[in-house]
Amino acid sequence: MASIIAGFLDRHYFLIRRLHSLTGVFPIGVYLFPHLATNSSIVWGKLLNESKLPAGQLESLGIAAHAGVETFQHEVNFIHSLPGLVLIEIGLLWLPIAYHGLLGIYFAGTGRSNVDRYRYQDNWRYTLQRITGYIGVLFIFIHITSLRFGWTYWGLMPAFDPQAAASSTAQHFQQSTLGTTFIAAFYLVCVLALVYHFANGLWTAAITWGLTVSVHAQRRWGYVCGAVGLMLAGATVVSVIGFSRLDIDAARQIEQVMRNGPAGAARHVEPGGSDVLSASPDGRDP
Amino acid sequence: MNTQKRVIMVGGGLAGLAGTIRIAEAGLPVDLFSMVPVKRSHSVCAQGGINAANDIARQQGYSEYEHFDETIYGGDFLQHQPPVYEMVHWAPKIIDLLDRMGVPFNRTTESQRDLRLFGGSLYKRTHFAGATTGQQLLYALDEQVRRWEAQGKVNKYEYWEFLWPVLETDDSGRRCVGIIAQDVRTMQIRAFRAEAVVIATGGCGMIFGKSTNSVMCTGAAASRCYQAGAWYANGEFIQVHPTAIPGADKLRLMSESARGEGGRVWVPRTKADRRDPRDIPENQRFYFLEEKYPKYGNIVPRDIATREIFDICVNQGLGVGGGNMVYLDLTHLGREYLELKLGGIIEIYRKFVGEDPALVPMKIFPGVHYSMGGLWTQYTAKDDLRGMAMGSANSMMTNIPGLYAFGEVNYQYHGANRLGANALLSCIFDGLFCGAGVANYVLEVVTTTSARLDQSVYDAAVRQQQEIVDRLINGRGMESPYQIGRELGEEMTAASTVVKSEQRLLQAIEALQQLQGRYQSIGLSDTGMWTNQNLCYARALGDMLKLAEVILQGGIDRKESRGAHYRTDFPDRDDANFLKTTVAKYDPDTGRPEIFLEPVETGLVPPRARTYGKVAASTETSRPTETVSV
Amino acid sequence: MVAPTTEALQTRSVRFRIKRQDRPGLPWRWESFDVPVEPGANVISCLQWIAANPRTIDGRDSNPVAYDAGCLEEVCGACTMLINGQVRQSCSCLIDQYAPKDGDVMRLEPMSKFPVVRDLMVDRQRLFHALTRTKAWVPIDGTYHLGPGPQDTPQSQQVRYKLSECMSCGCCLEACPQYKLEEHESRWDKAFIGAHAISQARLFNEHGTGNVLASDRLETMIGPGGISDCGNAQNCVKVCPKDIPLTESIAAIGRAVTIHSIRKFFTGK
Repeated sequence: MASIIAGFLDRHYFLIRRLHSLTGVFPIGVYLFPHLATNSSIVWGKLLNESKLPAGQLESLGIAAHAGVETFQHEVNFIHSLPGLVLIEIGLLWLPIAYHGLLGIYFAGTGRSNVDRYRYQDNWRYTLQRITGYIGVLFIFIHITSLRFGWTYWGLMPAFDPQAAASSTAQHFQQSTLGTTFIAAFYLVCVLALVYHFANGLWTAAITWGLTVSVHAQRRWGYVCGAVGLMLAGATVVSVIGFSRLDIDAARQIEQVMRNGPAGAARHVEPGGSDVLSASPDGRDP
Repeated sequence: MNTQKRVIMVGGGLAGLAGTIRIAEAGLPVDLFSMVPVKRSHSVCAQGGINAANDIARQQGYSEYEHFDETIYGGDFLQHQPPVYEMVHWAPKIIDLLDRMGVPFNRTTESQRDLRLFGGSLYKRTHFAGATTGQQLLYALDEQVRRWEAQGKVNKYEYWEFLWPVLETDDSGRRCVGIIAQDVRTMQIRAFRAEAVVIATGGCGMIFGKSTNSVMCTGAAASRCYQAGAWYANGEFIQVHPTAIPGADKLRLMSESARGEGGRVWVPRTKADRRDPRDIPENQRFYFLEEKYPKYGNIVPRDIATREIFDICVNQGLGVGGGNMVYLDLTHLGREYLELKLGGIIEIYRKFVGEDPALVPMKIFPGVHYSMGGLWTQYTAKDDLRGMAMGSANSMMTNIPGLYAFGEVNYQYHGANRLGANALLSCIFDGLFCGAGVANYVLEVVTTTSARLDQSVYDAAVRQQQEIVDRLINGRGMESPYQIGRELGEEMTAASTVVKSEQRLLQAIEALQQLQGRYQSIGLSDTGMWTNQNLCYARALGDMLKLAEVILQGGIDRKESRGAHYRTDFPDRDDANFLKTTVAKYDPDTGRPEIFLEPVETGLVPPRARTYGKVAASTETSRPTETVSV
Repeated sequence: MVAPTTEALQTRSVRFRIKRQDRPGLPWRWESFDVPVEPGANVISCLQWIAANPRTIDGRDSNPVAYDAGCLEEVCGACTMLINGQVRQSCSCLIDQYAPKDGDVMRLEPMSKFPVVRDLMVDRQRLFHALTRTKAWVPIDGTYHLGPGPQDTPQSQQVRYKLSECMSCGCCLEACPQYKLEEHESRWDKAFIGAHAISQARLFNEHGTGNVLASDRLETMIGPGGISDCGNAQNCVKVCPKDIPLTESIAAIGRAVTIHSIRKFFTGK
């Protein structure tokens, strides 16, 4: 078996390596932008958007308006409204991630870090790229299985309900038996690792593909990648704080209002056509 | 056994590699032996450049003939003229060939090959690649040999040391039919058969202890050939390069190109001036070369520059800080220019001295650099003496048929003093021109292939070498080879370099004989048989001692001053008696050299006074000047 | 066996801790020597002193340390080893800079990415094999006179000269986290070729005639052990004693193989 794999690798080595590089940037890396933009909308939605719910309704429920919950729910709804979502998920996410992750583990195993002897910044970068890769693979597996397939990991990871996006995510953060701090830290470390992995990968990909040849070009592109990384890192921190501190009950009520519409009873049909009321009560995605 | 005719090349420097390429091209397989991976051969150390007549110099009145004349004049008329004539005419073609091989010669803005001034010439005729020309040339040839190797035409035996030429005697006489070599890692000793053997093992700087040479330049291979019966000629002509930086382990060369590009040699006018050189005003600096040699200035030939520096420091006590140092000043040339033209040596100085030559004048002193002498070789001149007969089987063949010597290890081309940037030329020329002769010898002259010879010839030679090794390994003496080597170096440097005299040379011979006596009772601290460098050094030391005696004896017998050989007791050139090659023959019974003189072919350029336009300097020298009586 | 020379008492001394191995397959050990150092001494002059005075600090008679050396002016690449854990040439390693105080310790080890022959001497044959793999030569027609080579601008000459200064010392390989020891020759063709060879591929691809073999070289770079194995740690360029822009070469060859493979995809060549 090993020799078959080795033979295959030899024949298509370059294609396999370049696909590995490519998938890291697109679609996986690029996907980080909408994903983290959506997540952080729990905060920027609150700061930038006005609540679209009818005035007075929230007051009558005794809670403050929270446009973040609305924005986040809106974004989630949009995603879930995409036609052939599962196919998109498989083709553009799960397969590329599996390819990039599994081969990445294999390729990372071909090197041996030597930062103990050569303490150059770039060498740390190289080493971190591999460590963050390992973290990323592990994290993404947990992340997908818990939030997409509802594995709760013995209650450590309360599940996600796309109909109650903000509140269930906040639950996921706050109601774990490990405590909010631990989960927040867990997400912070793992997502920042992925953000680093992407930003640095973007930098090295430009060398791999030969876009940045001169040292100057590499340095300039490094600034761009650094800025991208900082931006994504900011979104990550904001998201984690946002969900760690969200008032779950209030969010749930807002979501309920959004689901039930202004009248509170009328069936509300999302643009994509999925019937929000048909969502199962435990939040499992059908 | 492989019955195909083949050639053994010993040495992987410029001469060895060029020869390998030429012989492989002629269709003969070559076994290439080198003590080091060939890419690390001593040729990498050559810095300045390679001379050749070129279009620009031609339009100023220069030609191959002027190159020829300069070389002869620079060599004080001691070299045979036909080979030099041939070499300088090949020079432009060799440059073209190297260019085609990809040597990154410096370029002008119009993409022409750039040129620089070099010692002993008033024309720019030196082609260069930064200040690491030797390295670049060696790499180009190394690449071509690698190409032949990939095609299976060349077999490399790297980390194999040449121990002895295998000679076979039959009705037609003696000839060389292979070598005995040792793998210096596994210590295996074995015989290799070949129809011809080319020795291209370079110089013998290690005999002088510290020199500009690499550590493997012991001269042991040449010495072994000499002890096996090959003649050694003009051994007393050792070039001491004027500008080297002294170090604890070696003297590091600061190329003549530094002066060719405008570097100036000076000392403070007052003795033991302790000021920072940058604080010494122009009128208090003594540019002694420029004053004494207004025509050539700092680019007088090496023997002259060396003697002048030696005189300034040793006789006049004007050396920097009272010591043995003079300034080589590049600070007026500008950093950008220096990096472009002299980057390699600037870097060496910066790394090893810790000062920046762009800011502070370099401190330098002469150091042993090159051996003009070497194994005696033959050639066939054209009828009019203008060049050598192409493809002649005896081109650079020693007195032993089938045994050749290429490059620094032979005694041709440079006479009593080599001009800067002629060494790379002579090495590559030997390989390319004489390589054809080797091929012709093997293909047309040799009738019995070595594969047909009786194994006993080779077995006996292996046994003889094994005995030498056993004797060294089993020796229980208390003498350290390193100590003897060090004393040898100190004595040779003191007695037989810049200034010599009969009395001092005789004293050195005596010291040498004592060292040879002590050598008989050396003990090795490493008696193992795996990568035993202690053994390799000890064995080479024995051969160095033999060759040192040739150098000293030649110096004693040559009762005149010529080129690099300067005798205080005979300060003038004596063409009547010594326009001759000193040839040393090894006497196996006494273990001593027997020296005879052989006439020099001077049919093209009659000897003339060699003054380089010297005038009296403002500060008169105390040493007799070297005016020449013809 | 050998009496210490008198200067031992006059100068400061530095302790050399040397990793020694008598031959392949035998266990290695540390041996320490106290070496008197004169101003201007380098690692080589100290190893020469040890060769003449091979007595360890515990007074035991040892033997000379085996090491590679050549030019001693950092152009031949022979004397590369690990000094205090870092790869470099030992000839240019001046004691006064590395161990300025009396009693300072210098640690010498053989390179770890090549099989040890003995002590500090390693077998770097794989490095030269990589040059054959890369076809690092200009395929000239022969040595007969055929006029000058291709025209070259000063700018291009400067680029090629810099690349051509590579002395095959192996520093870039030793420091590379992707380059690993391969004892057996059979593995060399698939193991990582290393920064030096990638840079040589660029050098010869940039030469007018050398370019004839460009596609062969790029095919090698595309294959197993080729440029894809580079992990962009960029240690190579930092340890290169000749300041060769290795990472630029890697990126340039990266670009060349990108174009080459796209062209190959569409033209089949």
